[in-house]
Amino acid sequence: MVIQKEKKSCGQVVEEWKEFVWNPRTHQFMGRTGTSWAFILLFYLVFYGFLTAMFTLTMWVMLQTVSDHTPKYQDRLATPGLMIRPKTENLDVVVNVSDTGSWDQYVQKLNKFLEPYNDSIQAQKNDICRPGRYYEQPDNGVLNYPKRACQFNRTQLGECSGIGDPTHYGYSTGQPCVFIKMNRVINFYAGANQSMNVTCVGKRDDDAENLGNFVMFPANGNIDLMYFPYYGKKFHVNYTQPLVAVKFLNVTPNVEVNVECRINAANIATDDDRDKFAGRVAFKLRINKT
Amino acid sequence: MGQKTPEIYSVELNGAKNMQQVHKVGGQEKQIGLKRHPQELQKELDLDDHKLSNKDLERKHDTNIVTGLSSTQATERLARDGPNTLTPPKETSEVVKFFRQMVGGFSILLWIGAVLCWIAYGIQYSNDKSASLDNVYLGSVLALVVIFTGVFAYYQEAKSTNIMASFSKMIPQQALVVRDSEKKTVPAEQLVVGDIVEVKGGDRIPADIRLLSAQGCKVDNSSLTGESEPQSRSCEFSHDSPLETKNIAFYSTTCLEGTATGMVINTGDRTVIGQIASLASGVGNEKTPIALEIEHFVHIVAGVAVSIGVLFFIITVSMKYRVLDSIIFLISIIVANVPEGLLATVTVTLSLTAKRMAKKNCLVKNLEAVETLGSTSIICSDKTGTLTQNRMTVAHLWFDNQIFMADTSEDHLNQVFDQSSGTWTSLSKIIALCNRAEFTPGQESVPIMKKAVVGDASETALLKFSEVILGDVMDIRKRHHKVAEIPFNSTNKFQLSIHHMDNPSDPRFLLVMKGAPERILEKCSTIMVNGQEQLLDASMAEAFHTAYMELGGLGERVLGFCHLYLPADEFPETYSFDVDAMNFPTCNLCFVGLLSMIDPPRSTVPDAVTKCRSAGIKVIMVTGDHPITAKAIAKSVGIISANSETVEDIAKRLNIAVEQVNKRDAKAAVVTGTELKDMNQEQLDELLANYSEIVFARTSPQQKLTIVEGCQRMDAVVAVTGDGVNDSPALKKADIGIAMGIAGSDAAKNAADMVLLDDNFASIVTGVEEGRLIFDNLKKTIAYTLTKNIAELCPFLIYIMAGLPLPIGTITILFIDLGTDIIPSIALAYEKAESDIMNRKPRHKKKDRLVNAPLAIYSYLHIGLMQALGAFVLYFTVYAQQGFRPNTLLNLRVDWEKDSVNDLEDSYGQEWTRYQRKYLEWTGYTACFVGIMIQQISDLIIRKTRRNSLFQQGLFRNKVIWVGITSQILIALVLSYGLGSVTALNFTMLRPQYWFVAIPHAILIWVYDEVRKMFIRLYPGSWWDKNMYY
Repeated sequence: MVIQKEKKSCGQVVEEWKEFVWNPRTHQFMGRTGTSWAFILLFYLVFYGFLTAMFTLTMWVMLQTVSDHTPKYQDRLATPGLMIRPKTENLDVVVNVSDTGSWDQYVQKLNKFLEPYNDSIQAQKNDICRPGRYYEQPDNGVLNYPKRACQFNRTQLGECSGIGDPTHYGYSTGQPCVFIKMNRVINFYAGANQSMNVTCVGKRDDDAENLGNFVMFPANGNIDLMYFPYYGKKFHVNYTQPLVAVKFLNVTPNVEVNVECRINAANIATDDDRDKFAGRVAFKLRINKT
Repeated sequence: MGQKTPEIYSVELNGAKNMQQVHKVGGQEKQIGLKRHPQELQKELDLDDHKLSNKDLERKHDTNIVTGLSSTQATERLARDGPNTLTPPKETSEVVKFFRQMVGGFSILLWIGAVLCWIAYGIQYSNDKSASLDNVYLGSVLALVVIFTGVFAYYQEAKSTNIMASFSKMIPQQALVVRDSEKKTVPAEQLVVGDIVEVKGGDRIPADIRLLSAQGCKVDNSSLTGESEPQSRSCEFSHDSPLETKNIAFYSTTCLEGTATGMVINTGDRTVIGQIASLASGVGNEKTPIALEIEHFVHIVAGVAVSIGVLFFIITVSMKYRVLDSIIFLISIIVANVPEGLLATVTVTLSLTAKRMAKKNCLVKNLEAVETLGSTSIICSDKTGTLTQNRMTVAHLWFDNQIFMADTSEDHLNQVFDQSSGTWTSLSKIIALCNRAEFTPGQESVPIMKKAVVGDASETALLKFSEVILGDVMDIRKRHHKVAEIPFNSTNKFQLSIHHMDNPSDPRFLLVMKGAPERILEKCSTIMVNGQEQLLDASMAEAFHTAYMELGGLGERVLGFCHLYLPADEFPETYSFDVDAMNFPTCNLCFVGLLSMIDPPRSTVPDAVTKCRSAGIKVIMVTGDHPITAKAIAKSVGIISANSETVEDIAKRLNIAVEQVNKRDAKAAVVTGTELKDMNQEQLDELLANYSEIVFARTSPQQKLTIVEGCQRMDAVVAVTGDGVNDSPALKKADIGIAMGIAGSDAAKNAADMVLLDDNFASIVTGVEEGRLIFDNLKKTIAYTLTKNIAELCPFLIYIMAGLPLPIGTITILFIDLGTDIIPSIALAYEKAESDIMNRKPRHKKKDRLVNAPLAIYSYLHIGLMQALGAFVLYFTVYAQQGFRPNTLLNLRVDWEKDSVNDLEDSYGQEWTRYQRKYLEWTGYTACFVGIMIQQISDLIIRKTRRNSLFQQGLFRNKVIWVGITSQILIALVLSYGLGSVTALNFTMLRPQYWFVAIPHAILIWVYDEVRKMFIRLYPGSWWDKNMYY
């Protein structure tokens, strides 16, 4: 015989629920008496209090093992990535020359991004360093803090500095500047004491054709060794990241161009299959002209 | 065998009338039973072959009584009617079974998850052709998981079904048939209507046959009608009902003796037994308790999963997450919440136990029945063969005015009574000589008690008894050459034989006689006491009667023995004895002694019954046997305990009428089938509720069903044993039907959930123990498996609520559920019982659930939460040591997951590309995975016990647990270090020290649980006990 489910009328179900919520005979609310509820609440208060304390304690102990200025492990950051400015949603720079609104936000972002590079600010905060060699500031047993940073003046970006530039970094004329920057990695001696530079190419052959000419600032897309090593946000307070600006002069309009820029440095591999941004950056460029 | 009639049993003297009634009752009940199914009755009435003359029969079935069918006719008919076999009960088709596994349990949830994944990908793809395939992978993995577990469960089920199938395969039955005027032996399944078959004693009737001629043919219809007495069969038409008439013998019954020739009138499913068998399959199966429990559990978990999923779906949507993301969150929550591997684990656990039980002679047909046996609260057991040894054995002897007890244990070796008396010498000689039973030749190496014997039950008993005590009985018989013999018959009620003396110089003859004691006594004028013949005076006769009554009262079959040395002068050596003329004295003999026999209880049964009693299981004996015998056996095995009395006992002791006895005083009751028939439902319920020790005697198998239903009305989980075809409805109806492997019919085995290979009651008790253990261990397994669900779920909730990078991936979760956790959870099945599980009450079907609130709460909100915290510590450690401190991680999720952000800043000002972050995220997954795994080891260890301290239980007694732990660690090592480079799996090589970060939390879990158990032990029944004991 198949088990016959006891058929309950709707009223009975409601009745049962009512009794479950408040049982007047046993004075039980949701199956427990007042004292039982008090016990259980007290128990969980204590128990969870204890667990929270325990968790906090272990987290505190764990954080004690982590230094303030250098992360314990940097194995994941062996190859710094490259990135472009202006930062866009899908790494595509689309400029409608005639439509101010389409590039105005890029300009705003760039203005803000380049503000710390203003010569006045740089001169005020940072040192003039000797180019061509690392600017090392070892602790030598005593905490050398804060560490000094080298100047990277906005004027070094030449036509892309945007200073007194009526073309708005070239966006209004269809000759946009894109800024390449290399990710900061603490204690990373980029270039292994040899000079390094950024180069850009069209990704495929037709891209290369469509890309046309471009100029780079500083010249040849050089990045100087003096900006390395980086000592971390906390110690290297006014660190100014070196930039390379690329001004695209005659991109074929109304075509999407895939551009890839990479850093040529002795100790930066740029051929990682999985990490498409290791030592390189790919972005799309499209200039719409009517 | 011809001597076997009921009259020889002394106990029948006062019960013979009763028996007649019962037979009628059995017949009537059969009719009632059939009336429930009018169509069946209709078919029954169509059978009129018994009324036809032989000529008409020949015409009807187009055959010839002398020459039989021709082979061509037979082939045609075989093709038309099909083989002469019972169609096995309709099996669910394999495809349906397979699909049931595919959608059962959690599978449906996972299917939904998989489909949602694919839909999500479809939406992504329609928006962006380059959408990542992650969701497709996840969906496929989920589908694979379902298919894999489904196939696994299906395989397990098929395997257990196969065991049973192989078991039910019998040696094909042969039938002797006349075809083309020749006698041929053909397999019984090739018989067709119209075939002329011959049967002889010992054969199974191969089809429904109408007898054409018969010589002293008797059949055992017990498997069909429950009548335990042999029924004589002849070719005369004696009753309108085909069931009652003498000229029809039914398929699957046994011909006990004689020979007969008959015409096949029905084959296969059209036989009467075929109709009953299909009737039995109409009684649906109850869902087994464990199936209900698992359903209950699946409902709880699925409910939790879906409600948390939906809740968070609503939260995420209102937090302005994209609907697509919310759907993916929903899937992950479901995956985290569903213990994917659990159902497979339960199946494995059950089949492991089933295997273990098979070793102990319980063959489990239906895996879930393993646990059902554990929750059994009433066992309705047969007597013959189950509680008893199913062979007559000499139990008592009376000679020299004294009752001696014989050893009735299985090997019989320990005979302690006084064998020095001269009376014993004479008695033993009578026992050995006045006996027609013989050992079948060629069994020299077989122990005496196991040797096969030709002869009826009592003669066999006497033969073996004398063989054990005297040695080679055949030799004794040879030395005392038999010159004349009168076999037993029901008018004489005695058996007599005359022998030469073994001493050649002694020319006398010895006349030996045995039979119904009072008839023997009538023929005696002297009695032998201490080897001396004395006059049989009134006082000796009185002593005889006392002894006779006493032995009869024990439910034993009593025989009297006497002898006479025939004087040599009257009976010279050449004297020719004529048994028809009776030219020798048959009175004024010398009475030697009485001997009583019983089918003794198996020696393991009393212990088993005691165990049942302490385990709170009521044992009810249901037998077709006589109440006195039933009661005697019940008393000797403890079903009626030594100090409890029935109403009748009390009446006798106080010497008052039965009606005057206060029924409440009696604990035991012996109820006959006749009484049971007059009871209505309430009276039966009252009987079952008020008496703790009940024996049903003289019951028909149909009444078993009534008894089972009565027990089930009391919410009891009922186990029923049975062997006949007619038991099958009761076996089906019972929560667990137990068929006898040796004595059981195929129909009974088909209907049963379990088969006792040795027909031994004690095996049931072993089964109960295993069943209880498995319930406890399943609880542990489930608690173990549920715990980590929280540790898998919490990271996800935190991810949604606090915007941390995802701590653990969906695929990683699957690797825990189906990888590291599987072997340990099976290992818990090997855990020994914590205390004597046979000392507690059976669990209440509706109240003691497998998964109860304390279990869920303790697993989820206590241990689960602690595990989650431990996993988080590891997660935060990994991130912090790589540069992302906990405070940075807060609300980092959106930027973290953006593919276009390749310069995400960490706590130290370093910048990360998307892939670098992804790799770190996978390291986080691996870390969480390892954290949960390490804590699951501790969880596994604490789950070994629910109440006892681990130190009481012993850490190393269950070796399999350590195999489980090793497997956990090995799998994790392989995943991290071996497959760390396979991108799709999202595992990375974890730094060695991270494997140890969660250990303090693991220790904390263990300490906490020890404290919990300590308080439970210290304060039983307290608030703590109620809330913390699962």
